[in-house]
Amino acid sequence: MPDATLTTTAPALAGRPTAPRRRTSRHGSNAWAHVVLAVGGVVMVFPFVWQLLTSLSTNAQVMSVPPVFWPGELQWGNYAEVFSKLPFLQEFWVSVSITVARTAGQLVLCSMAGYAFARMRFPLRGVLLALVLSILMVPSQVYLIPQYQIVNGLGWLNTVAGIAAPGIFSAFGTFLMMQFFKGVPDSLEEAARLDGANPFQVFWRVMLPLAGPSLGALTIITVLWSWNDLLWPLVVSTRAESMPLAAGIATFAGRTTTDYTVMMAASALAMAPILLLFVVMQRRVIDGLAHSGLK
Amino acid sequence: MTSVDRSPRAGVVAPARGSAPRTATGGAAPRGPRHGYDGWWPVLFVLPTMFGVVLFYLWPIVQTGYFSLTEWGAFGGQTWVGLENYQRLARDPDLGTAVVNTLVYTAIVLLGIPIAMFVASLLHRPGMRFTAFYRVLYFMPYVAMPTAVAMVWRLIFNGDFGILNQALGVVGIDGPSWTSTPGFALVAVSVVGLWTSLGFAIIILSAGLRTIPPELYEAASLDGASAWRQFRSVTVPLLTPSVFFVTVITVINGFQLFDLLYALMGQANPAMQQTQSLVYLFYNEAFLRNDKGFAAAIAMVILLIVGAVTLLQFRMQRRWVTYA
Amino acid sequence: MKHLLRSASLAGVAAVALTLSACGGGGDAAEDSAEVAPTDAQAEITYAIWDENQKPAIDQNIKDFNETYPNIKVTVDLTPFQQYFTKLQTQGESRTLPDVFWMNGPNVQLYAANDLLEPVTGLVDAGEIDPSKYPDALNQLYSFEDTQYGVPKDFDTVALWYNKALFEKAGVDLPTDDWTWDEFQDAAGAISDELSDQGVYGVVSEINGLGQSSYYNTILQAGGEVISEDGTTSGYDSPEAVEGLQLWADLIADGASPTVQQLSDTKPNVWFGSGKAAMLWSGNWSVAEMKDSPNKDDFGTVRLPAGPEQRATVIHGIGNVVAADSENKAAANAFLAYLGSEEAQRTQAEMGVANPAYTGTQQAFVDSVPSFGIDVFVDSAEDMAFPYPISQNTAAWNALETELLPHAFSGERPVEEVAQELADAMNEELAKE
Repeated sequence: MPDATLTTTAPALAGRPTAPRRRTSRHGSNAWAHVVLAVGGVVMVFPFVWQLLTSLSTNAQVMSVPPVFWPGELQWGNYAEVFSKLPFLQEFWVSVSITVARTAGQLVLCSMAGYAFARMRFPLRGVLLALVLSILMVPSQVYLIPQYQIVNGLGWLNTVAGIAAPGIFSAFGTFLMMQFFKGVPDSLEEAARLDGANPFQVFWRVMLPLAGPSLGALTIITVLWSWNDLLWPLVVSTRAESMPLAAGIATFAGRTTTDYTVMMAASALAMAPILLLFVVMQRRVIDGLAHSGLK
Repeated sequence: MTSVDRSPRAGVVAPARGSAPRTATGGAAPRGPRHGYDGWWPVLFVLPTMFGVVLFYLWPIVQTGYFSLTEWGAFGGQTWVGLENYQRLARDPDLGTAVVNTLVYTAIVLLGIPIAMFVASLLHRPGMRFTAFYRVLYFMPYVAMPTAVAMVWRLIFNGDFGILNQALGVVGIDGPSWTSTPGFALVAVSVVGLWTSLGFAIIILSAGLRTIPPELYEAASLDGASAWRQFRSVTVPLLTPSVFFVTVITVINGFQLFDLLYALMGQANPAMQQTQSLVYLFYNEAFLRNDKGFAAAIAMVILLIVGAVTLLQFRMQRRWVTYA
Repeated sequence: MKHLLRSASLAGVAAVALTLSACGGGGDAAEDSAEVAPTDAQAEITYAIWDENQKPAIDQNIKDFNETYPNIKVTVDLTPFQQYFTKLQTQGESRTLPDVFWMNGPNVQLYAANDLLEPVTGLVDAGEIDPSKYPDALNQLYSFEDTQYGVPKDFDTVALWYNKALFEKAGVDLPTDDWTWDEFQDAAGAISDELSDQGVYGVVSEINGLGQSSYYNTILQAGGEVISEDGTTSGYDSPEAVEGLQLWADLIADGASPTVQQLSDTKPNVWFGSGKAAMLWSGNWSVAEMKDSPNKDDFGTVRLPAGPEQRATVIHGIGNVVAADSENKAAANAFLAYLGSEEAQRTQAEMGVANPAYTGTQQAFVDSVPSFGIDVFVDSAEDMAFPYPISQNTAAWNALETELLPHAFSGERPVEEVAQELADAMNEELAKE
């Protein structure tokens, strides 16, 4: 990855490195900042703490008013019950498969389309771009029945392909990549073309290597969205084993009573890998967005 | 804006990596791309996406447009009725309510942007530690599963036993049944919406902050500018492109409000009629009352409204967004 | 335009169908739909349900079914109730409905009227299904234009749950099966007056959203009806219906019941289960939840109080139906017949998940929590049950109910006025059917 050789610059100050991380503070301590952030952080995190506590409670405690905070005896058995009530691992793999399919698809298609919209000239470019963005502007349920009919017609019900297919095409992703490519200086491209490269080679050899960080940002956003996607997979799958986790967890909602404790435990387990992914990738995500032409 | 080292090395990358093909299209003369259309290349790049977009998204929108001119019951059987659905919609008081509610929701969620700017700048302070930890904290709501989130917030907002009202009770305020009273319900839903999307805004604005060269701050402080002045004159202007992006996305998402409403309030909620959003109106007509032609008209109206608002935003960006 | 896509997808479905029928045993479209598959038939069918709590019993049913039909594989498709009918509609539009699936009262006519359901008359004539074994009101519920489409699976009636400890604390006499409205109202008011400082109410019910457990019953008890028997006119504008609604408005005005907002924030079963309300109007679906409550030893049930006109409770239950377009109809019919059998229904009761419809199998369910006195629900079904009010597009006017009635209950607007408005709007919707 060319990351190591690239540095951010502002056009007026070419060639300068990013803000260095200074260990010593300038104006006294940042204590007050920590206080503010910590308080805000508590507000952000509090519902999750409650979710964890709920997952370790009994249903009677959950369904009582006033609500019970600390369950007293921690019901670790709820976590074990998750695996007996759901084909958790199978659904986990379904989630992974559809997420990988959608993310990989979007990375390829959105970068290509984004590049074309940003850097190429062709008739109706503006019109096509407007059409692409317009799909974000109708209620998503509009697509439910038509997409179902297409997927059904292709015989893809209950398959990873069927669930993933519509999500491979993304207006948001195209928009994101387009913004990035717009920010790349013309000179690079001109130089490449002067050397005789055709547009695909320019894309492949010059543009794409630079886009690594942007693609990282698109990755995390798509992964998040796909992981929690609920209604579409629920409609397209008719077997628990072909559902992704989000849909599987939703099935805990019974008609009149819901096993909230196990449901919260399952949600916590499902959220963990993504959180982990974010913790690991967050540096790249910030860097990615920094370089993604959004500035 | 650039993200590339300006050293000549980068410009040499292409030929240095192997072939410098003098292909038929490349040719020697610098005649090609800059002076007209790019030939067939755009087709290669754009076609896969356009194919999928047309098949899975645009075609359904066209169909919806057609259905909006019909009367379509639950299963099959459309009869052409022309503009009748739209006329009915124009007379429907629920449409106005839904528009207002959606706007209010979006406005409150947009308040998250200044908050996110503040938080991001706190995280960006020189010598600030544990930034990674804080970032994970603030991003968690965005990662969470909506069902779990809704359940916990319902408990927080509960009129009789929720901790919000208990806290208010300490200072002598008798809190309402937040999610079941018109007006308050919208505020409650908006707060949760804001809480959820804050993380996204913080991440994007953090990235934007990192691209502002510190030399500008140094120069400003050398000129005697206070921290606040620096924030106003250096940070804010250079952050505007990120703010623009977040704003556009937040508005578009705001208009899609539905899942949160449904999860926090439930269909049979007495306040639902006054709190419904545009998409809820659509869902109600399409799937609950089985009036799919009418629902299609609603969808078309939503498209119009959001399209207009987005267009407006793009036009107006010239006024306040500074691309460095 | 839609037709192009339709024919494309139909072609796709046809292709898939051909493949399936090649592997399936006797399942092709040409055969008589009333036929039940032979015991050695091979097929794969889907069974769609919406309640996770009942899945263990369903799994057991399938196991027992496979003892007679070892080669018919049944896959369960569990979708949470909230999304169940959205999914079903999507499948109905594309004619990809599951082979066998759960249906409820509000939706059955919609699907039947659009030829999506297979009549069970064939099975009845062949002796596989005996309607006389189920409550008549349920058979009626699942019939449309004199043809029965669904086989009742279970039933719920509504009764009055009460908390002995709270009654004793307030010094009020316990409810009895002979109670009238007046006695009920007095008790509720007395308890609220006595225990309001502890945050306890006299009665709770799901008036904002589930007429079935609340005002449908009181309307009937006052001698009115929610919808006319032929399903074409609203019954809300009659004085009897207004009387039925007024009861709840009065209870709220008295403070005997929490307000509509309070009941929306905290569900009635949570109020009652936590010991914050002395009485609850609810059906036997609450048994599962109440038996886990810390206060369960204090709970009991009696029949709903008698109204000015009569005793009444609404009866409703899930029905099993077969899709008219099913490609494995013989196998589906076999499974449907099994689900309607005494054995299958008794399993539901034994596993405590539901109150089965088949006469005589409810004992196990009644015995599951003896202290609750669950036989009240079964008895109510016999002599005071009225079918759940439905029409072809029930959802359309159900939505009106939840929109308008809260204003009447909360006292914001006079009950009579709201009822009239509701009746007018409802008639408008019914006229469209």
